[in-house]
Amino acid sequence: MTTQLRFPIDSRQAKGAVLQQVPSPVASRDRSLGGVVHRFEALRQRPNSPVAAIRTRPATAPRFAGFPDSIDPRLRSALKAKGIERLYVHQAQSWDRIAASENIVVVTPTASGKTLCYNLPVLNALADDPAACALYLFPTKALAVDQLEEFNGLGDALGSDIKAFTYDGDTPSDARRAIRRRANVVLSNPDMLHAGLLPHHTRWARFFEHVRFIVIDELHTYRGVFGSHLANVLRRLKRIATFYGSRPQFVCCSATIANPRELAESLVEEPFALVDDNGAPSGEKHFVFYNPPVVNEQLGIRRSYINEAKRMAETFLERGRQTLVFANNRLATEVLTRYLKQAVGHPPGGQSPVRGYRGGYLPKERREIERQLREREVLGVVATNALELGIDIGSLDAVVLAGYPGSIASTWQRAGRAGRRQGTSVSVLVASSAPLDQYVVEHPEYFFEGSPEHAHVNPDNLEILVSHLKCAVFELPVLDGEAFGPHDTGELCRFLEEAGVVHHAGDAWHWTSESYPADAISLRKITSDNFVVVDVSRGSSVIGEVSFPAALTSLHEKAIYIHEGRLYHVERFEYEERKAYVKRVECGYYTDAIEHIQVETLEGFDDDRTGAAVANHGEVRITRRVVGFKKIRFHTNENVGDGKLSMPEQEMHTTAFWLHFPMEFLESLPYSTTAKRDGLVGLGNVLRTVGSVLLMCDARDLGVSSLSSQGGPEDLLDPELFLYDNYPGGIGQSEPLFRLRNSLGSKARKLLDACACKVGCPSCVGAPGEVGEQAKEVALLLAESLAETGEERVAP
Amino acid sequence: MAMTTRLDIETLRRRISAIGERPQSATGQPARGRAGSRPARTHGRDAHAIGGEEHTNFHGRFVLQEHAYGNERMHGQVPIQRLQAFKPGWLTSISAGEVPAIDPRRWAFLDTETTGLAGGTGTSAFLVGVGAIQDDGFKVKLFFMRDYDEEPAMLHALAVFLADYDAIVTYNGKSFDAPLLETRYRLKRQANPIARMCHVDLLHPARRLWSERMPNCRLGTLESEVLGVERQGDVPGALIPQRYFDYVRDGRAAPLKPVFHHNVLDIVSLACLASVVLPVYAAPHKATLRHGQDLLGLARWLSKLGKWKSALDLYRRAIQAGLPSSQLFRSLWESAHLERRTGNSTGQVQLLRDLSRVANIYRAAAFEELAKHYEHREKDFGRALKMTRNAQRFAPSEELCHRERRLLRRMGD
Repeated sequence: MTTQLRFPIDSRQAKGAVLQQVPSPVASRDRSLGGVVHRFEALRQRPNSPVAAIRTRPATAPRFAGFPDSIDPRLRSALKAKGIERLYVHQAQSWDRIAASENIVVVTPTASGKTLCYNLPVLNALADDPAACALYLFPTKALAVDQLEEFNGLGDALGSDIKAFTYDGDTPSDARRAIRRRANVVLSNPDMLHAGLLPHHTRWARFFEHVRFIVIDELHTYRGVFGSHLANVLRRLKRIATFYGSRPQFVCCSATIANPRELAESLVEEPFALVDDNGAPSGEKHFVFYNPPVVNEQLGIRRSYINEAKRMAETFLERGRQTLVFANNRLATEVLTRYLKQAVGHPPGGQSPVRGYRGGYLPKERREIERQLREREVLGVVATNALELGIDIGSLDAVVLAGYPGSIASTWQRAGRAGRRQGTSVSVLVASSAPLDQYVVEHPEYFFEGSPEHAHVNPDNLEILVSHLKCAVFELPVLDGEAFGPHDTGELCRFLEEAGVVHHAGDAWHWTSESYPADAISLRKITSDNFVVVDVSRGSSVIGEVSFPAALTSLHEKAIYIHEGRLYHVERFEYEERKAYVKRVECGYYTDAIEHIQVETLEGFDDDRTGAAVANHGEVRITRRVVGFKKIRFHTNENVGDGKLSMPEQEMHTTAFWLHFPMEFLESLPYSTTAKRDGLVGLGNVLRTVGSVLLMCDARDLGVSSLSSQGGPEDLLDPELFLYDNYPGGIGQSEPLFRLRNSLGSKARKLLDACACKVGCPSCVGAPGEVGEQAKEVALLLAESLAETGEERVAP
Repeated sequence: MAMTTRLDIETLRRRISAIGERPQSATGQPARGRAGSRPARTHGRDAHAIGGEEHTNFHGRFVLQEHAYGNERMHGQVPIQRLQAFKPGWLTSISAGEVPAIDPRRWAFLDTETTGLAGGTGTSAFLVGVGAIQDDGFKVKLFFMRDYDEEPAMLHALAVFLADYDAIVTYNGKSFDAPLLETRYRLKRQANPIARMCHVDLLHPARRLWSERMPNCRLGTLESEVLGVERQGDVPGALIPQRYFDYVRDGRAAPLKPVFHHNVLDIVSLACLASVVLPVYAAPHKATLRHGQDLLGLARWLSKLGKWKSALDLYRRAIQAGLPSSQLFRSLWESAHLERRTGNSTGQVQLLRDLSRVANIYRAAAFEELAKHYEHREKDFGRALKMTRNAQRFAPSEELCHRERRLLRRMGD
């Protein structure tokens, strides 16, 4: 593969795509980004303009503070040698807080010099005490590798003998011993800390005896279940540190969320100081909200957001502007990669200037793409959220978001990839027809003036806490009177004693099982169980890996698997072996799996009459099964065939909020059974939109299901409408939904009232093609029936 | 997506709600006393039930058992008397010089019984057996904790005992028992007695001798195959952790008793196996091994240590003793190399010729080596060319072509 090709930034050769469609934001030959922005502004003035909003943030100047006197002179001259003469105000503030023995959480934008906020105190501690140690935690291995380079750059300048290493699943076993013996700074991830370091802490005795700082970067990623797990891993970490007589300080860094300090405090269970006064400069930035024009008023159908996103990206690419396109899932990423590769073309014999990027690519390929972005060897990359995290890819000229990323925080984080310290940058959000996208694009103030989401964690979730308590006992006997979380730890230990895994002797609980409890606990939603994709077109080579749940929908037999825009036909899916064998093909379609989801209630915790319905929350079992797939033609999105599949079921226990509509009430409604069912489905979609706004969570954190649990899908016996926590075990969203049940009903009613469509649209109940012609009417009636008993009882 | 090892979360939730979500008090004390909640288990603490004597030290109590094997006894086909013949230098030879000469009376044969194989800080050694040679025979002491709170006392006593010894001899102890004990001592904040001791692990030396001939090199296998010991009513190792867990819960000693016997036998077997393995490494030329394959393992080890002459001698003995054909050819090939290294090119050529005459995987390579020999040492290019072409018949390669061209050129000069 040639990597020497440096794609010219203002390439005259870049083959421009023919932009024949109107309204096009770009028709002139103007190559500057300013010109593109002018075109968007002009378009904005038209009636029914697809440009829903343009916001501009002017350039800001840097704000500096001098070097604090307390910085070791050797470190100061090392920084000067690296060209760092002054600190930005947020860096200086971080220093001061750390020096005052506080824990800090730093919240500043991408590329604002955040890492210096933690590298500075760590290096200073090392200059003072060569035995000092620090643990850096990153959510991914790639980030650790990235930051190791950054750290070593500074450490080398300091000239002292500082040993920093990454320690993760990729570390060879012979290197591990040396790292344990010598490392000052260990860059790892929560999963490794959980399963590798803590259960073997005696081997890390030297490290834990000298650990001064724990750095947690990308703090905002630790929300929901993952965050709840991390909080418990940190409880274990602090126990171990205490055993070795250490009390490390915590430095956290986060992207913008509503409650960074609260999140840090719930994860670490210690007070934190917030540092958010960003002193780094930034260039002028434009953010455009683009809603693809309606092509069929009656059916509420808009032009495909994928095609529109492709057109926007081309606009930037043909001006030689380095552009990052974010899509919200694997399939959209690959389809867009393919479209853009075809549209942009490439120099004869050379590599396409456009590449795909997602978690399923092999690490080596991903590192190469990151490097190509930094060194400007590729012009455009289409990525999933895998590139949202702080991997250093430099700053780009433009970002196109194909679909709303699902949260305000995530949207800012992705848009933040565009923006050089000087010069103009542009981000464009191309809304899909999904309800939340439509809501956001039509209510730009929700995004621009609204606060980013709250990150919620529930470290005291019993299931999570108890599984970590097992690990804690394994690591060190739990003493009588010792607290692990707020529940009665002794009572929990007695529960574990009954389960036969712990035993009380002397004044402590001891681990009495042959098992290694950390192995049974995965910190992430998805099991680490991966499928590998083997290309057997010529010989056999592994081209990718796919997470367990995604494999069932993307690697089933006869699926078209797409990798970097190339099509592969799945020849064989080996469930037991966790392998899929694929062959290169060229065909005009891709496949989308059809999944059936069934919800079954296990136990209700509480219920209350809400108008005509009964609201509940409790435990449910979700069963998902891939039953078939559709073949979809590229570009036109026509359905050109389908197939049946018999795939293994996946089960998940979680918590849910649900509404039960009594039969007698439904029978009193003057509609057909089909219309009533459509109305329920429609109300479910509305409630999910409203619920995710109320909880400030990602819409995908909430699952919705409205099939009645008894009888087939054609019956309508005592139907229940579920909004469930889309995580095994639940993440505590059902209880607040239950509490806010009245708001939920009235907000659903308001959304339906305010929606201008005639018979339902993707922004409210769903497109009529999906939910039927009467869905909106019935959903509104059902929503009104929820509010009959009136007043709001509980404020959110 | 189903969670593995899922707890019965409903039961747990009920329990938690049953205690009224009573938070822990400000002092961190649980909101209840815990005495009297478990069934009485006093008989488990009775040293007589399990055998041995209760001892007390600064850290508390534990149980010590002693087992004596007099010189007159046999262990399988090995007389215990033989242990008296151990020589101080034997640990030096088997460790290739790493361990100094140590009086055999200061060797401790050590083996642990543990609560699992998972490793990590949650695995304990509940029973540590140490055997030592005395004038009248072999004595094994078993350090046993009747419950987890006896671990500090047991570890301390073990450390005091080991202070009189300078080396430990184990089977797989370098990767298992020693790190495990190191972890236990660190967890109990006691000094690890093994840290200052020399350590000879017999697993690798035994593997070198027997991996070809035995189905595996577990101590149990060698014990019956090499020492001729047949165990009666032994408890399989895999069941041991659960026996101990049951014991700490219900205090019934009977099911645990075979574990003590198991540990004692392991240690006696370890010492007797040492009486077979150590002399072999101490004086390879005098090794009384009867099987060609065993001699071969020893020959390779010597070759690796650079003792080419002794290695060659053992290769010859191995070949004479009889080897399966695949190992025979490999031995011929390897000894050909050694012959060259020791400067005996006649011997090398002899062996290479043997290898080039019959079908075997070294045939082409043998021809190639012969070609090198004739080209560079004998300068007999015609013969070298013939050998090269022979080699090409079996395994054509770029290199051989190159050699052929060069030889043709040199012959033309």
